[in-house]
Amino acid sequence: MKILVTDDSRVMRQIVIRTLRQAGFDDHDIIQAENGREAFEMVGAETPDLILSDWNMPEMTGIECLQALRAAGSQVPFGFVTSEGSPEMREKAANAGALFLIAKPFTEDTFKDALDGVLA
Amino acid sequence: MTTAESTQPITALLDAETVLGIADQVWPSLVGDGEVFVPVPAPPPAETVSAWVDITGPWTGSVVLTCAPATAEALTASVLMTRPPVVVDDEDVEDALGELANVLGGNIKSVLPGESRLGLPKIGSAPSQGRLDDVCRVAGQWRGQFLTITVQGAADAPHAERNEVPL
Repeated sequence: MKILVTDDSRVMRQIVIRTLRQAGFDDHDIIQAENGREAFEMVGAETPDLILSDWNMPEMTGIECLQALRAAGSQVPFGFVTSEGSPEMREKAANAGALFLIAKPFTEDTFKDALDGVLA
Repeated sequence: MTTAESTQPITALLDAETVLGIADQVWPSLVGDGEVFVPVPAPPPAETVSAWVDITGPWTGSVVLTCAPATAEALTASVLMTRPPVVVDDEDVEDALGELANVLGGNIKSVLPGESRLGLPKIGSAPSQGRLDDVCRVAGQWRGQFLTITVQGAADAPHAERNEVPL
């Protein structure tokens, strides 16, 4: 399967990818985008099986990317990995069609819990 | 939310224990297994660098992480799990320190009342502080080196007494 990791921080993309491997998801192809717009544009060409996205990014936020994807008819599974995990953010994410929201800081167990059903 | 509530200083909304509790989760997750932020003040270095995120909402201000440039480099190396002879560059340091401030800020925003917005991380000299009672600072150290986490009101944040609506 192919996972698109989207975050404007290269360091955080690296941490997310490392945590995916630590959580046992090390046999998937990982591709990266620096913001929501780049992720949106990559979905057509790369057809990822899952998007893991930050929320707060320049150019296009994660929630704007998700809304644009759904408006364009894409149903690609989408989950947030973000520093903001308030009930309001979780509700917004769910209403927009996100499968889950992983709040930073996270552990490999957090990833296992969120992704086991999606990447099984 | 009433006007009086919306202009409360950070000291009425957040205590050092809460900030420390957040740091206790952030350090092992981002900085590395077994890494801890120790809330024991260390002597301040001659030169410091800060990374921060702004929070805008009922309470407006910044969450600021401040340390010596050498500590910022060591933090970055730890976050990236680099080993000598690999050295981190300035872009990595800005990114890693900014992301630490971002995660601290996002979690602090989550415990503040009302709906707020979180800005993107910035790095440089710490922004000016506002009211003296609108600051929650946790002075501490990482690996024996000076490091502080400061939650501070914006210099131009409205004062309660100026913002009250007359009855």
